[in-house]
Parts: sequence; C-alpha cells; structure tokens
Amino acid sequence: MTEQARGAARLWSWLLAPRDIAALVAFRVALGVLITVSSVRFLAYGWVDVLFTRPRYHFTYWGFSWVPALPAPWMHAVFAALAVLGVLLSAGLFYRATTVLLFVAFSYVQLVDVSNYLNHYYLVSLLLGLLVFVPTHRAFSLDAWRKPALRSDTLPAWCTYLLRFQVTVVYVFAGLAKLTTDWLVHAQPLNIWLSARTSLPLVGPFLDERWVAYTAAWAGFLFDTTIVAFLLSRRLRPFAYVVVVGFHAATSALFPIGMFPFIMVTAALVFFDSAWPRRIAARVRALRRRGEAVAPVSVPPVSARPVTALAWAGLAVAVVYGVLQVAVPLRTHLYGGNVLWHEQGMRFSWRVMAREKNGSATFVVTSPATGREWHVPPSDYLTRLQEREMSVQPDLILQLARHIARDFEARGLGPVEVRADVRVSLNGRAAQLLVDPDVDLAHVEDGLASKPWILPAPETPPVKLRPTWRAQVH
Amino acid sequence: MSFPFVPPSGARSTRALLLITALATLGGCKESDRGKDDAGPGGPGPDTSRGALLKATGVCVERTAREFHTTSTALSQAVTAWAAQPDATSLAQAKTAYHAAMDSWQVAEVMQVGPAAPRGAAGGAELRDNIYSWPLVSRCAIEEQIVSKGYEAPGFPTSLVSRRGLYALEYLMFYAGEDTACQGTSPIVAQGTWAALSTEERASRKRAYAAVVAREVDLKAAQLVKAWAADQDNFSNTLATAGSGNTVFPTSQAALNSISDAMFYFEREGKDLKLARPLGMRECSTDTCPEHLESQFAHRSKANLRANLKGFRLLAEGCDENYTGTGFDDVLKAAGAEALAQKMVDRIVAAEAAFPAIEEEDLHQALAQDKASVRALHDAFKGVTDVLKTELVTVLDLELPQSVEGDND
Repeated sequence: MTEQARGAARLWSWLLAPRDIAALVAFRVALGVLITVSSVRFLAYGWVDVLFTRPRYHFTYWGFSWVPALPAPWMHAVFAALAVLGVLLSAGLFYRATTVLLFVAFSYVQLVDVSNYLNHYYLVSLLLGLLVFVPTHRAFSLDAWRKPALRSDTLPAWCTYLLRFQVTVVYVFAGLAKLTTDWLVHAQPLNIWLSARTSLPLVGPFLDERWVAYTAAWAGFLFDTTIVAFLLSRRLRPFAYVVVVGFHAATSALFPIGMFPFIMVTAALVFFDSAWPRRIAARVRALRRRGEAVAPVSVPPVSARPVTALAWAGLAVAVVYGVLQVAVPLRTHLYGGNVLWHEQGMRFSWRVMAREKNGSATFVVTSPATGREWHVPPSDYLTRLQEREMSVQPDLILQLARHIARDFEARGLGPVEVRADVRVSLNGRAAQLLVDPDVDLAHVEDGLASKPWILPAPETPPVKLRPTWRAQVH
Repeated sequence: MSFPFVPPSGARSTRALLLITALATLGGCKESDRGKDDAGPGGPGPDTSRGALLKATGVCVERTAREFHTTSTALSQAVTAWAAQPDATSLAQAKTAYHAAMDSWQVAEVMQVGPAAPRGAAGGAELRDNIYSWPLVSRCAIEEQIVSKGYEAPGFPTSLVSRRGLYALEYLMFYAGEDTACQGTSPIVAQGTWAALSTEERASRKRAYAAVVAREVDLKAAQLVKAWAADQDNFSNTLATAGSGNTVFPTSQAALNSISDAMFYFEREGKDLKLARPLGMRECSTDTCPEHLESQFAHRSKANLRANLKGFRLLAEGCDENYTGTGFDDVLKAAGAEALAQKMVDRIVAAEAAFPAIEEEDLHQALAQDKASVRALHDAFKGVTDVLKTELVTVLDLELPQSVEGDND
C-alpha cells in the first residue's frame, strides 16, 4: 500500500467512523422546534404582513431578481407550511422530503427581500441544506418507526464534522468581524447600545460605564473567537456550554435579537459527545430509580469496504462547500476599505451586531428634457423598515434608484436621471455622504464589481460617550 | 457577558469569587464617586439625563396641552358668540381666536406622545386626530355634513375625523365661497341639494356646524389635559417612570423612542408634506402645487410651520423660557456628544432663520413670488431632519418609527 493510499484510508476511516446518532437527533428535534416557533411568531405578530405582503417594493439579491414575492394569503401559507414542516422535522417524518422542502421554503422566504436579511436565518438555511444529506431520521423518528430497515443507532462521523464546521465558521467569523478599532479600541457600537439600557434592573446602572462596554466588547470578541476550541475540548465542554448559554442569555436580555440566541444555543449542541442525550436519559432514569442504566450504543467497527467514486465525489462537494464557506466571508477584502461603511461583502459574512448605522436618504430625480427636478423620499416606495435598511446599504440604494427611474418612465415622466443624497452616521460619527451625489444611479448596473460611486468611509473615531450620572442635567 | 472559560477546580473557583468581589467593589466605587460628584444622598441616580428628559418632556407636553386648552375654550366661546350673533366683529373675534388656537396646536403637533398618538402607539388614544386630522381631511365631507346637518346628530362626535376638528373649523369660518369641492358622484351634487341651499341658509348652517365643532375640539383638548395632568390620569408620571413595572413603557428607551417618534412629525408632515409637495418637489405635475399647502382657507401655512419648529425645539432644547430646561441636547451633552448637541441646535436655529427670509405673509404668495425662499426653508428643515435621522438616533440608540425586531446586522 502506498503512502497516498494509506493516507486515503486513514481519511476515510476518520470520516466514516460510526458515531452515536443521539446527539444529531437531539439537534434535529431542537432545530425543528425552533423553525416552528419562529414561523408561528411571524404569523402571530403580523410580521408576514409587515415584512412580506405589505411592502409595495421588494429588494432582490443579485442574481435572484426572478424570485417572486407571493401576495397574501400565499405568503402566510408558506409560513404555516414552515411551521408544519418544523414539526415534521422534529418528528422525523418524511425526512428527505421535509428537509428539502424546509430548505427551499426557508431559503425562499430569505430571498424575497434583501432588507429582511438576518445572519441567523441564513445560518438556518445552511443547516437545513446540510440536513438534507445527514440522515438524522434513522433513530427516534416516525420514519424509523415506519420503516425498520431504516433504523440505525449510528451515523458516520462526517455528519457531525460537517455541522460542527458550519457552526465553527459562524463563531470564528463573528469573532474576526470584531477585530476592528471601533470594536476593540473604542468599544463601539456596544457603548452606544449599553448606554441606552441603563433602566434595566440590577445591571442597568452600570451599563453606561465605559469599562463595562470595553469588558463586554473584549469578552464578546474572545468568546466568539475561542468558544469553539473550548467546545471541542471534552473536559471543558460542559463549562463552555454553560458560558454559551450565559452569553446568549445576556445578549437576549440586552438586545432585541429575536431567535438568534436560541439558534446559536441549539447549534452549539453539535459539539457535544455523540451520546450525550442517552447519558442524560440514563441519569434521569437513575434518578427516578426505574432500573438499570441504559446500555451504551455498541459502535460497530468501520467496514473496510472500498470507497466508491460517489463517496469521493461527495467529499469533493463537501470540500468545495467548505472552501466557499470560508471564502465568502473573506470576499470583502477584495474590495478594500471599511466593510461596515461600504457594505460590499457584508452579507453572508457573519458580521453579527457589528455596527450601529443610520441614514437619511433622498432621491433627486431630474428630467434632462425639461430640466424638471423632483425630490423623492424613500417612504414613497418603502416601508419604514425597508427605508432604514436601504438608507445604509449602497446596493439597495442603487436598486431603489433604478426602480424610481423605471417608475417615472412608466408614468410618462421619463427618461430621467436619479441621484441620491444619502447621509449616514456610523457608530455615532458625524453623518457623511455615503454615495456620490453627482452619479446618475439610474444608469449604473448592479454587479459584484467594486462600486466606485461609494464615497470613502469616515476616518474620524466613533462617538465617545461617558456615563451620564457624572453629568448634572437641569 | 461571561468569560469563555469557567475553571472547575477549587482554587480557580476562589479566583472567580475574587473577580466577582472585585466587580462588586468597582460597583461600590461608582456609588462613592456619585456621592462625590453629586449632591450626596438623594442626588441624581443612574440614567439621570434620560430620566430627566422624560420628566421634562411630560411637563412640556402637559403645559402645551393646557395652553391649547385655554385657547380652544376661548375659540369655542368666540365661535358660539359668532353663531349666535353673526356680524363682522364677532367673525373677526372668532377668526382671531382660531389663529391663537392653531398657533398653540401646531406646537403640540410635534408632541404626539401617549394619549395624542395613534392607538397603535404606546399609550395612544388618538386624541390628536380628533382635534386636527390633517392631512386626512376632506372639504367635500364637510360640505356633505352641511347639507345633511350631520353635525346635529348625536353620533357626530364619533363620526369620521375628516368631518370634525380644526380643519373643518377652518373651512367653516374662513371659506365664504359658494362652490363645492364634491364631485358629481357625491349625492349633494348628483341630487342638487348643495345648489338648492340659499346663501343665507348655507352660512347659517356653517355657523351652527362651526359651533358644534369648536365645542368638540374644546372637549378633546380637555381630555388631553386630563390625560396628562398629575391630579388626574397622570400620563406625565407614566412617561417619567418608564422602566421595569411600567406597562406602557417597560424601558426608558421605549419612552424615549415614543418622543423621538413624535419628533419625526417634523420630517414627514413638516418637510415632506407641508413643504416638498407645495414646492413641486414631489407628487406634483406642475412647477408648484399650492393646492397641497396645509392651510388653504386661513392661509397660515407659514405660521403653522413656524409653530411646528417651535414645538420641535421645545423638545430638542428645553421647554422653559428661551428654550432652556432639559431637552435632547442636554442628554447628548451629558453623554459626551456635545458636538452633536451643538450641531442640532445650530441646524434648528438655521431653520428658524429661514422664516424671516420669506417676506410674504403666507406660503401661497411666497410660492408665487419667491419660491427660492420657500425652498431654502425646506432645505433648512432637511438640515434638522438629517441630524435627527442619522446621528441623533445613532448616538442615543433610538429606533426609527415603526421598526420591528432585528438582529441589527
């Protein structure tokens, strides 16, 4: 056997080593519950109307402008379907169809409007996509109950590695996103956010202290960049998970971040030993004195079957996926500058809670033929939420400018030129122009290339706040 | 925030305990520092500036509501007198009372916090729309009421807001034309009932209608005062005590947001509707659109905007004499954002300075004779709203109106 062959054999024995299925089953159940709860929340709080059916205009992802926004009640039906599919996922019923449908439906909802983009929903889409290939329904599922032939107490190790890799990417890049002077040197935007929460019980009075913001900023940075290492350590894992829960509970209490903490606490379960649910069950039974301890799952040895071409192809796809997952968050470095300002490469890069940014946008429409000028506020086309997102993201500004041009032309007022007067404050800095007000955006094509009409980021430091109890207010 | 590693051993637990003790000591340091900086025990506590702003805003809104109530009572009396004895003198007195009431109300327009705000807002009771519903107005709806005498019906006080309030009063008192704004589809045109009314009868009904509307406005003004008054519903206290246990404002930030939401009136209604539309900058197919001006009959569009700016300034800078007292600028200064506080005040002063440049009595004439001066006023208003929408909401971490949950990424 050549060295190469021995290496390949070692690789496959590592990837195919059987692992207890229990941990991934627990993950499947928890993810299904989260999707159901999240979908029901959207329906119950009226967010389906606010975010999807009420807006008259939807921002599309580059290359996905063909994705239609369904009107009511169809969009509500999609969310109802998501809620049902979440239940099916937890129960492990019609698993393959369920995971495929969940991935498609959940991703569709994300693709309808860019202004609704949230990192954690992108993560859920990815996890659902991965679950299509990870057969977590082979135990503790209605499918396994229906089809005994399907049953298995183990899964190959690659299933766990794949999910662990995905969660690792999120934490590591979320940590690296904090490797900025604003975050580490100025403790912004945390100082802004914490200073606004001084009415919280117990901890509130301290939240506008600068040292608290610095402590929180560095703790957040260290947490994100190191937590995976601690979760991978068998000895430290339980303590690390307590920290995970504590960290996300704290952020949940402090910030309006919805399902994000729950999703991350669930996602971190993939780092646990594959048999942890059985151990907990055994302890519960022991506590209840209901008999002997549960026998551990017997893990069969790896069969020495020859690796098929399909397996190699699968591995190749997984490697490509992994490379993409690393490359996509790094793509912003191709653009240079401050991603928090120009936003090129901001999405899909796990920059969670990385900036406080607000803008004021007005579109100046001119008719070259008549010289007539109109000032169009975004509110003529957008909801408040869309306007908030659009006014700080250049590609959305461009989309709306082009839409306004088309609208004016459709109304018989065109052809027109559209320029944007957009002033943006980043992390409390003085507001600056975000895009060149002299550029006619109506005739600029969107694409992945660098956008020269985005003006340079401000070079001044962010706002420096102080605790207000030091100041006498009359 | 937790550290990412909790040592399990006993020795490390001791270290953790020491860390907690150290943090507690730091907390103690803060307490003693506070005693040193401030007026000892009983001095301002945490969240001083925001708490002070909430309290001051409550006082300010209540004071403004009381001022309006005084003028609305005088208005009701003057209109009733005019309706009872219609002559040039009583009409002039009624019109003067209307102007005084509107001067006061337009200040309150920027203070739609709590009871004045729409029902969807925190503590909202929709009192504002019942007093003045612009831009949700309809001259035709009022004219239909004149024909049907709907104002005499018991259900009139709960009828559509477009038939009531200060806009209806403005039309009824200031418009003497014989024409109707209703289209041919309206029954008063289709059936000829508007045209069938004699000039005297129409005028008589207008006066009677006006008296009813003025009384209703005064009642709503009284309700607004009652809602805010410390010895009655005490919404001032609701605002001042925002935080844990407060069902309307569970956090001081939520209360602060409700105030900033109210201040956005200055952008939406002020800059965009009252200025940009008449200037022909939006929703207008001609060079200017004076038909979009707010005050079509009393011709006080300029005065209204000036009062709006005053209301904005009272909240932004302080509600006492010469805009002293606690305002958003004080919160910004207290937080260390002095430059932003100064910028906001400078922009407001610049907006104020744009008014004398409009030499005409009202924007009707100004649009025709000196459009540039009105445009300059619009741009000055934009200078204020740019600061409001960017730096102010960023530094104070305020939410823009009607925002929903997100993860801020």
